[in-house]
Amino acid sequence: VSTYFGTSPRLLSAGREHFDWALFLVSALLAVVGVINLYSATSVARAALTDMYIQQVYWLVVGGILATCAAVVDYRHYERLGYALYSVGIVLLVLVFILGRDIRGSSRWIYIGSFSFQPSEFMKLFLIIALAKYLHDDPRTEGRSLKDLLIPALLTAVPTFLIMRQPDLGTALILGLIFASVCALTRIQLKSIVSLFVGVAVLLPVTWSYLLKDYQKQRIAAFLNPEANLLGTGWHAHHARIAIGNGGLTGQGFMRGSQNQFLFLPDQYSDFPFAVFAEDWGFLGCFVLVSLYGFLVLWSLRVAATAKDRFGAVLAIGVGSLIFWHAFFNLGMVTGLLPVVGVTLPLFSYGGSSVLTILIGIGLLMNVSMRRFYVSPSRARLLDL
Amino acid sequence: VSDLLLPRSDVGEFRKRYKWLALFVTLAFVAVVGRLFQLQVVNGADYAATAHENIIRRVPLPTTRGMVRDSYGKILASSRPSYNAYIVPGRVMPSARPLRRSDLGADEPDAWPKVADTLRLNPDERARIEARIRGACESDEDHSPCFHPILVREDLSRDIVAEVKQHQGDLAGTEIVSAAVRFYPFKSLAAHTLGYVAPIDSDKLAHFRPDGYEQMSAEERARLNPLGYEPGDVVGATGVELAWESYLRGQRGWEKRVVDARGRYRTGPEAQRIIDAPARQDPVPGRDLRLTLDMEMEQTIERAMRGHLSGAVVVVEVRTGRVLALYSRPEFDPNDLSGGGGKARIRESFNKLYADPLRPMLDKTTSGAFHPGSTFKPFAAMAALEDQKLNPDERERCDGYLVFGRRTFGCSHVHKKVDMREAIAESCNVYFYKLAEAVGMDRMARIAAEFGLGTKTGIGVNPESPGRVPTRSWYALRYAGQFQIGFTLNTGIGQGDTTVTPLQLSLAYAAIANGGTLYSPQLVRSVETGDGLVVQDFPPRIRQAVNVRPENLARIIEGLYGVVNDPKGTAFEVRDPDLDVAGKTGTAQSGYIAGENDDPRIAWYYSRNHAWFSAFAPSKSPEIAVTVLIEHGGSGPTQAAPIAMQVIREYERLKAVRAGHPPAQKPSAQASSGKAAARGSGSP
Repeated sequence: VSTYFGTSPRLLSAGREHFDWALFLVSALLAVVGVINLYSATSVARAALTDMYIQQVYWLVVGGILATCAAVVDYRHYERLGYALYSVGIVLLVLVFILGRDIRGSSRWIYIGSFSFQPSEFMKLFLIIALAKYLHDDPRTEGRSLKDLLIPALLTAVPTFLIMRQPDLGTALILGLIFASVCALTRIQLKSIVSLFVGVAVLLPVTWSYLLKDYQKQRIAAFLNPEANLLGTGWHAHHARIAIGNGGLTGQGFMRGSQNQFLFLPDQYSDFPFAVFAEDWGFLGCFVLVSLYGFLVLWSLRVAATAKDRFGAVLAIGVGSLIFWHAFFNLGMVTGLLPVVGVTLPLFSYGGSSVLTILIGIGLLMNVSMRRFYVSPSRARLLDL
Repeated sequence: VSDLLLPRSDVGEFRKRYKWLALFVTLAFVAVVGRLFQLQVVNGADYAATAHENIIRRVPLPTTRGMVRDSYGKILASSRPSYNAYIVPGRVMPSARPLRRSDLGADEPDAWPKVADTLRLNPDERARIEARIRGACESDEDHSPCFHPILVREDLSRDIVAEVKQHQGDLAGTEIVSAAVRFYPFKSLAAHTLGYVAPIDSDKLAHFRPDGYEQMSAEERARLNPLGYEPGDVVGATGVELAWESYLRGQRGWEKRVVDARGRYRTGPEAQRIIDAPARQDPVPGRDLRLTLDMEMEQTIERAMRGHLSGAVVVVEVRTGRVLALYSRPEFDPNDLSGGGGKARIRESFNKLYADPLRPMLDKTTSGAFHPGSTFKPFAAMAALEDQKLNPDERERCDGYLVFGRRTFGCSHVHKKVDMREAIAESCNVYFYKLAEAVGMDRMARIAAEFGLGTKTGIGVNPESPGRVPTRSWYALRYAGQFQIGFTLNTGIGQGDTTVTPLQLSLAYAAIANGGTLYSPQLVRSVETGDGLVVQDFPPRIRQAVNVRPENLARIIEGLYGVVNDPKGTAFEVRDPDLDVAGKTGTAQSGYIAGENDDPRIAWYYSRNHAWFSAFAPSKSPEIAVTVLIEHGGSGPTQAAPIAMQVIREYERLKAVRAGHPPAQKPSAQASSGKAAARGSGSP
């Protein structure tokens, strides 16, 4: 019976012993630097924004507690509840259409009293768990055909479609990329890969014509030709790039970046905090920060590689890809490598749902990491299991 | 326990993939770092420069337009501060804003009624501005007109300005902005010469700032637009203000200020740290001008001319060509046209001025050309003397008319037998008909041209009329070969197609008086800095030496002396025994032909002759030449000559006052008080 309670004293003792200090320290470091950067980013903004970093600290504390919870419960419970959690996520996404309120042309939030959250953020975790459960339950090792991928594809497509209808291109994109990352882990037949690419090639124009909203198309157009409309959609990308360049090698110094201090960076706390960081700390600071994200992602690959079952491996890969795609898309967007899509920078961007999702994800990673060891029978005896 | 101890599912499928994923992730982050290296290290300096440009704005610093003074330092044109009231619609009347209507409570009261009271707006203006406020606030987004200030009242009195400042707290959304307004203390006096200023018009602006101007290099812009004109700039529109614009204007300066993305200025040490040198370029004030005009003389002329509707008076210095007075009537007040009283006042004034049939905007001293009438006779006589076509001492008979072919040419009365001197003094037309016939048109034209008639004088202010001195070839062109001798006869008495401007005539008489030197008229004595340092001094300029023999000039002067001093002279009746004047009267036909529908009273006025008197004084050693033209004044001797006498008397008086010897009979406390006091204390 005790095996089904991950919180049993015996398992906890095993957990304490295998606590993943690297994961914890890097995550904590990112969170601290993120809050400090948020302080700089909002220091000059209107009064309503100036205590934003305190809000972020609250979210980090709440997220830390949730992450601890997510880490200590044996992850196999999540496997058992995988589809149930996924269903809850889908229901919440549907509820957005009923309860949501229009903000800047899209409704992404559910309001419960004074509290509000973005179900699409949590859906990322639910999707990872659901995909992990599917692959765990389908332990074939030969190459998969498209038919074999139909169910995980559907698992991804349903929330993706719902989120695109909100519309929220960035989150939908992340879901698709999580699915692709998980697929990259599995063995797939060559012809399936080819037909997948053909399918994407066909779907892209269809998506462009029917699914994308005008403002989304404008953003992509602005990426392809950034100088065309400097005062319109190209404004964010243009000034973010100037801010980064203005950082130079060593940066302007904390809270001294002129682009941010003189309000040339809109959304400096949500989508563009990296531009503030880059301006304040320069190339050296950015190199360290990018290295931290790189470490976190590579570390999640290591956790996946050492996971003792498919569920744990896919869970780790899923969380790793979540962090990777968020970081890569945000950095790519801010530096002008990629179009402006609303993707947050993990632990840097302000936002409760986003912070909680990332921290819970890191909690899950920790969970898998702590339980990656076989407990040899002799050791189990020693531990009096 | 067992499933904890054993691997639950096979993870072998994934094993080979991790290194590829790791490679992909590493490459992705390397790409990001590479991009950062490119942005921050390779191109960092460029982006830093752009970031710097983003927050540094060169704020223009206004310059002050130079002053214009008369010869004795009296200020003719200067700049004074004027205070204009602006309101921000959304703040002065929050109740007009849509957001306020729905969301906010009544926490912001409307300051508008109090603002309107304080600014003393009349009910019409109130209603009009209220409508504008409501119109502007149909939307109250950040950049809507709801938050753009609108001008509600211009040129406030100091009392109202003080009141607004005092009650600023209750007058939310109201702002007083000061602006420089051109000010002409002498109002309409010498207005035509001074001109006025006006906002630069679009044609002129397009000339200095052609398409694509903003994108040009600084050098190219400086070449095209050396004076730095910008939309809304106030520039000279006419007169000295226009002609000397480049001196008066000055050069705008700039100051670097730190500005944020919303266009708000930032101050404080943090902002100061960012500003790089040079942080400021001081504006260069415009140069001051000292004119040759004498405003005391202008005032006398104005008083003397009050009885007449329309005319012109010119006074020039005989030995320098300096213009002491240019007076054109009717006048206009340049203060009304230069923005002091607001846009409505400007519009109203222009409408009135352009509707006036007496053409107050026309500078009649230089832009108006008139038949000179008998004032032309000395030049015709000079032509005869130069070419020795007749003996000046030989008498011609005047019966009051002369029949020539089928036409009869009239004279004022029967002069009996007159020689040249008498013919000039008594202004006998018959003598001059005969003279003209003997001399011929082209010889008269040559002499007239020697004296500068028929060509622009080059005063450089206002569009100048060249006048006209017709020749045979001119008539050949005009009348297709049908030349009549009558043209020549009429030219001999300054009628027909001969026209002159009062300024031309003055300079020509000055040339007679000074022994044959024709000067270019000089209006600007010197260019000075604000503290009176002379930057550029303009000496008199000789236009040409008149190619006539001195003894002939002496004969002409003798005739002109007779006009005033010979008991039979035309101006003898109005002479001033104290003054030594020589001159010539003229009564020129106006050429007006009444239309059928013309008001008889108006027709009567317009058909009256132009009255002329052109003179110089003192006749023995001339100092000034005066020309008086009274349009439709009737008769030269009775209307124009007395005014010239008053001007000459004033000149003599001023000369005495300025030399420290005020004439006993007419002490002028105002003009000489300073000097008199100084003298008084020095010599009891």
